[in-house]
Amino acid sequence: MAKRFFGISPLVCLTTLAAGLLAGAPAQAQQPIKIGWLSSLTGPLSSAAIAENQGVQFAVEEINKAGGVLGRKIELITRDTASDPTKSVNFAQQLAFSEKVDFIIGPVNSGEALPAIPVIARAGIPNLIIGTLDELTDAQKYPRAFRVINTNTQWITGAQGYALDVLKRRKVALFGDTTGYGTATQRQAASFLEKAGIKPAYQVLLDPNKADLTDDMNKAKAAGADVIMPWSAATGLLARILNARGDMKWDVPVVGHPAVMALPIKKLLTKPEYWDNVYAAGYKSTTYDASGKVPQRTQALVDAIRPKLGGEIDFTFWWVALGYDCVHVIAHAVKTGGSTDPAALQKALETTPYAGVYGNYRWSATNHNGFPDGDIVVNRANSFKEGSFAIAPGAR
Amino acid sequence: MTASSPWRGALPRLAGGLALILLPLVVSNQYHLHLASLIGAFWILVAGLNLVVGYTGQLSVGHVGLLAIGSYTFAILAGKHGWDPILTTVVAGLVCGLCGFLVGLPSLRLPEFYFAMSTLAFGLIVTELAVARTELTGGGVGLPAPFFPGPLGTPSGFYWLILAAAGLVTWLTWNVTRFMWGRSLVAIRDSPVAAASVGVPVFRAKLTVFVFSGVTAGVAGALFSSLQSYITPDTFHFELSLFFFVSIIIGGRGSILGPFVGTAVLTALPELVAPLAKLGTFFYGLLLLLVVLLVPEGVGRLVQRVIAALRPPVVEHHAIRPDLDRLRAALRAGARR
Amino acid sequence: MLIVLVTGLAIGSLYAMMGLVYNVMYSTSKVLSMTTGHLAMLGAVFGAWFMGGLGWPIWLGLPAAAAVGAAFGLLTDVVAIRRVITRSNEHLWLLSTLAVATMVQQAVGLWWGTEPRPFPRLVPQDPAGALDQKYWLPIVLVLLMAAGLGLFYRKTMFGKVFVAMSEDAFAARARGIATNRVRAMSYVISGALGAVAGFATGQLTYAFFAVGTLLTLNGFVALAVGGLGSNMGALVGGWALGIISMVASHYFGGEYQQTIAIGLLMLALLVRPQGIFGTRQVRAV
Repeated sequence: MAKRFFGISPLVCLTTLAAGLLAGAPAQAQQPIKIGWLSSLTGPLSSAAIAENQGVQFAVEEINKAGGVLGRKIELITRDTASDPTKSVNFAQQLAFSEKVDFIIGPVNSGEALPAIPVIARAGIPNLIIGTLDELTDAQKYPRAFRVINTNTQWITGAQGYALDVLKRRKVALFGDTTGYGTATQRQAASFLEKAGIKPAYQVLLDPNKADLTDDMNKAKAAGADVIMPWSAATGLLARILNARGDMKWDVPVVGHPAVMALPIKKLLTKPEYWDNVYAAGYKSTTYDASGKVPQRTQALVDAIRPKLGGEIDFTFWWVALGYDCVHVIAHAVKTGGSTDPAALQKALETTPYAGVYGNYRWSATNHNGFPDGDIVVNRANSFKEGSFAIAPGAR
Repeated sequence: MTASSPWRGALPRLAGGLALILLPLVVSNQYHLHLASLIGAFWILVAGLNLVVGYTGQLSVGHVGLLAIGSYTFAILAGKHGWDPILTTVVAGLVCGLCGFLVGLPSLRLPEFYFAMSTLAFGLIVTELAVARTELTGGGVGLPAPFFPGPLGTPSGFYWLILAAAGLVTWLTWNVTRFMWGRSLVAIRDSPVAAASVGVPVFRAKLTVFVFSGVTAGVAGALFSSLQSYITPDTFHFELSLFFFVSIIIGGRGSILGPFVGTAVLTALPELVAPLAKLGTFFYGLLLLLVVLLVPEGVGRLVQRVIAALRPPVVEHHAIRPDLDRLRAALRAGARR
Repeated sequence: MLIVLVTGLAIGSLYAMMGLVYNVMYSTSKVLSMTTGHLAMLGAVFGAWFMGGLGWPIWLGLPAAAAVGAAFGLLTDVVAIRRVITRSNEHLWLLSTLAVATMVQQAVGLWWGTEPRPFPRLVPQDPAGALDQKYWLPIVLVLLMAAGLGLFYRKTMFGKVFVAMSEDAFAARARGIATNRVRAMSYVISGALGAVAGFATGQLTYAFFAVGTLLTLNGFVALAVGGLGSNMGALVGGWALGIISMVASHYFGGEYQQTIAIGLLMLALLVRPQGIFGTRQVRAV
């Protein structure tokens, strides 16, 4: 019986493929600038992407309302990768070859960006990278991929500089999680400490959903640690570190990944004061100065976008600023290059700096990490207000 | 069984094969070719798994672990150590066959749910080790996987390579299912006790099939990693296992074409229909539930039934004509006695 | 070291409760449902929503969370078990419960979000190290649950009907027991128990949509090692698994936690397939 059914196989295959071909037919009527946006709006690790998406959407609307770039409207084509590397490679190909986009933003998470970026590079499409893993940029291998966000190196050196030079701590307890990003970042942090001549007093990789970290914190304390440096983006893990620290009444500073300052952490804390003495790498653009003001460009964006977000900003604002800047970097490149020709766009980005909300970018032919070291600061976590933070005591 | 003449339906099959071979010449869009290659790579795994799940009825939900081992074998040997990619693909198949043997040897002795859970645990353990053994697997950062050399490295060349491998695997599984072996597998699925009582070596048959599925998973893993060009532990998540499994169940157990269509449709559908991508795994769950409740034999069998109903019934004329001469002769002989 | 054992015991209690939930469903239907761990997830998520989001007090939040679990249990029976179980022994139930489990996890992920959210404290108590409520709540609860189930099976009419069905469903049916209704009842009870288990451990797991699959696996491993059908086995197996995984994490870090714990227990299963307290089933035909 199964064999007779075999006969219709070609029909099914062909129909499937024909449907695919029809769906992929491009419509080039008024030649808009097509931006592909590989975003992980669902699935794990979606909160950053959702916030970035707010910024991206807002910038596109804003530019289109003002008449577009060089008279051309921006068309945003969003694809939800759900942080799955296989899907992100598929969608990268789809954007490149079916939609024939002029620019691709993303993918958001390093794990999915690692395989997708080479694919985009082979298609020769300019790509804005918003993952922090250092391996993602390579001016030789991926000549048209430019990083908008900072690198892991910048985060780690920023936080480490604060812990070692300002807080004058030497006995570091290094925490990471067992996800791909967590292990990679923790190892990188360990190698940076080694360069500074420090061997971590305690070092551990933890399951991001491990129910209780009291034991691990006890071991860190017993090892004589005087600063905790967590390198993980897992909200639950970070909150458990802070809760364990608070419950055991151990007044040790925590300096690490920016995720430790995100609002969901605050909600997971047993007591609000467990967020005290917690610092993380942050940005000049989302830091209040002595008079309690964020930089003027940030404030303008906050005011403009606030109605869109329902009047309240309850997530880290630099995500929005990053998304917003990505679109404006593209607009800037198109304006400077005079067209959407990929080579012209590459040249435009390599030769002209761009001052955005989130950072002042400067790429070159050899350096595709445009975010300047000087725009990284260290923030105090419990100063969270409207998505921005106060600077950590003693930090530059 | 007049329907099982080997040449029946050969024409559409041939046409189908030809269409698949000519696909790169027709399709100029590299994305569609990539999708077709991905379907092919997944199918190589699913074809082997189909013998385990669809024919033998062993519910393995951990084949993503074998896929990961195949992918990493390829990325490490061909990428880091510069082995020949074709040779490495074969080696990946052998390595995964061995892993299949080591996993199957204990777990296939366990009853259904126990077996399903052991394979689930196996899948989790492989990803955990992929993250932990940094010096081997690159840890969280992962490893680049090389392309195949020369013309096989181009999108169409690689597609043809995958097509050839998929064709070979399909042919092998088809042969297995047609002959005594396949029948004994189905017997194990439907009643292990009855199968054993008529002399089917139940455990050996299950293990052989599981090892074979390991080999195909390894080959699929090698091709998949070259197609992806970069692999990280995040690639091999539990949902991928679920995807393979659901493809088979939805396509129809005990058929080859059903799971193939299942794999193709489930791979392509979320790409082409954006709202489905948002629902993602929920959609797989819903499909699985609907199929189990409404057509437990799979959508393939349903289509088959519809076709059978639409086809004009073959009426065979068996005219009943008494052989009067012989009757007379017999009567005469009887009378003489 | 004390805190390692206490944490292991608390997490092990959650696994043990999952084992008990498996047992309740298994007794009447001979089905090991893939939705088991998701019941605890529902308990934690809805508990957090009722108490943290809507601000209900515990005497309202706990029964409401249990009711959600019970409703989901009933839904599982109606959708995934009732239609499937009467068809031959093709183990279709494994597929249907897997489908329901996948759907509920994804649906909760879409609605609740994919980040863990806080679970409120249930008893007014200052953080108290190893004596904190997040540890003793599950430990106390699993003992209560096991004892309660024991009493229920031995002392109540309904419990005896359960036992009768688990011994021989056909015979029970022949004696006039409405087996369909009893099975539905057992799914409602197991749903409520699973949700309460998740509710009590919410402070450890947080209200997180993705804990279900791992709990399904770990609860099953606990039960398999202890012996399917035995509540004592679930307790011992759950505690063993919890403590082994915490000790493994203590000595080797989190990288090999899964591998060591599950690997060891799978090994135990190979040595004694029926589990510590299980009885070998000899009847294959």
